[in-house]
Amino acid sequence: MLDFINFYVVPGIVTGSIYAFAAIGITLVFSIMRHAHLAHGDMATMGAYIALAASTMLGLPVYFALLLAIPLTAALAVGTDKLFYEHLRKKPKILTTMSTLGTALMLRSIVQVVWGVGTTSYAKGITRPNDWFGLKIKTNELITLLALAVVVLGLAAFLNRTRWGKAMRAMSDNRDLALLCGIDNARVITLTWLIVGGLCAISGFFLGINTEIKSMMGWNIILPAFAGAILGGIGRIEGALVGGLMIGLVEELSVLFIPTEYKAVSAFAILLLVLLVRPRGLFNGKII
Amino acid sequence: MNAPLQMANLRGGYGDADVLFDVSIDLGDREIVVIVGPNGAGKSTAMKAIFGLLKVRDGSIVFDGQDITGWSPDRVVQAGISYVPQVSNIFSEMTVHENLEMGAFLRKGNFSSAYERVYQLFPDLKNKRKAIAGSLSGGQRQMVAMGRALMLQPRVLLLDEPTAGLSPKYMEQIFQISRDVRDTGVSILLVEQHAKQALAFADRGYVLAAGRNRFEGKGSELLADRAMAEMFLGG
Ligand SMILES: Nc1ncnc2c1ncn2[C@@H]1O[C@H](COP(=O)(O)OP(=O)(O)O)[C@@H](O)[C@H]1O
Ligand SMILES: [Mg+2]
Repeated sequence: MLDFINFYVVPGIVTGSIYAFAAIGITLVFSIMRHAHLAHGDMATMGAYIALAASTMLGLPVYFALLLAIPLTAALAVGTDKLFYEHLRKKPKILTTMSTLGTALMLRSIVQVVWGVGTTSYAKGITRPNDWFGLKIKTNELITLLALAVVVLGLAAFLNRTRWGKAMRAMSDNRDLALLCGIDNARVITLTWLIVGGLCAISGFFLGINTEIKSMMGWNIILPAFAGAILGGIGRIEGALVGGLMIGLVEELSVLFIPTEYKAVSAFAILLLVLLVRPRGLFNGKII
Repeated sequence: MNAPLQMANLRGGYGDADVLFDVSIDLGDREIVVIVGPNGAGKSTAMKAIFGLLKVRDGSIVFDGQDITGWSPDRVVQAGISYVPQVSNIFSEMTVHENLEMGAFLRKGNFSSAYERVYQLFPDLKNKRKAIAGSLSGGQRQMVAMGRALMLQPRVLLLDEPTAGLSPKYMEQIFQISRDVRDTGVSILLVEQHAKQALAFADRGYVLAAGRNRFEGKGSELLADRAMAEMFLGG
């Protein structure tokens, strides 16, 4: 039983947390801007490398480097919006979605030019897991879960208790009415990109610290992250949390039944199934 | 007469085609004015024109002596006009109280007295303040929509078919509340399908058809006008 938990459930929840960070960002973009954000993974890669640079160049401990990477990636997200998406706001959303694919390729190229295509990591050497009565969990894994809890609770508090958080929910709920209330749509959009960029840095960082850092790392999680967002119900933050965690768990558990090389297929299978059977997802999200 | 809102000879539409050809509507201080007319006449469009949601090609909209033609919605709200659209007029995933809070978004400082006033006008909403607005009945949703629009204490309130789909009991209630609102110093311009009841209740009325003014006058005069009654009120 403990072996099952240590080998499958713990890695599943950790992977799922990384997907959840990404899925929450994807769902936020959709609920406010109403388009898919295909640059999400590569923006996460960017965040991971910014943290790496901050830690190696400035000699910061990695978690401090993350605190620096969050605002920088947030600024990057706002920048891509101003440069590439803002002028498309009134056009059909498919144009913006395609444009995010362009951003994805661009960000990846920048990462490859600056940092190369090799594989690296935040800390050399192998960390041994802590052992609590047989439950084996690494410190970084524990921090990942803790960070997810903090981010989700923080985001919920922001959305439910603050003026601008409520304005975000209002705009997601009924954009025209938000405008009639005098809620400045442009400011809500900028705010959303700030949060989304920060979440990208966080998901990229935790992906990097739990696995390895490479230029394709973010693109490789884009499918499970979207699957998580859609499984939870697009536009639903609690859905993205649960959906991301579930996709991570299912991926890890799937190796019990299918060869390891194919575990990424399970996210795809869930995505297909949800779209066919329950396109609004678990939490009754918006129709896509 | 001091008319806070004057729409004069409006021509315009959504795209290149005109929907309004020549529409003029005045709303006096503390007045309730109703717009009636067949479906597709341009009644909703006339209201959207006030909120800058339309390409106005000719004519003008003056509020409180200031030309507001083509202003963006947030400027119009800030100036003192609130608008309850015909459809999707609440934040259906937010609570009743949050709907009111969004209505007061532009208001700085303490606005607890604004909540008080709205809950006084709509006692039904007070016990439902924590309820998700989308889960309420049609009549209650309309009250949320009106309450939201009143949070900024506007000088002019625009209501687009506030009683559509409501039972006669709720219709009476909405009319009564509109009078109460008017008595607090708000001028009300509303569009109504229930032409007879609305003309009887309003101070003045306009009949729009095919994007033009057709009749205007006191509610009782319009109701008494045989030609007009035959054409637009089904005899
Ligand atoms: N958003 C829109 N885009 C284009 N045409 C519209 C739009 N809304 C309404 N119309 C057209 O404008 C005309 C008047 O509509 P409307 O003002 O809604 O009528 P009413 O409210 O009097 O029933 C109709 O012919 C309608 O098809
Ligand atoms: Mg209408």
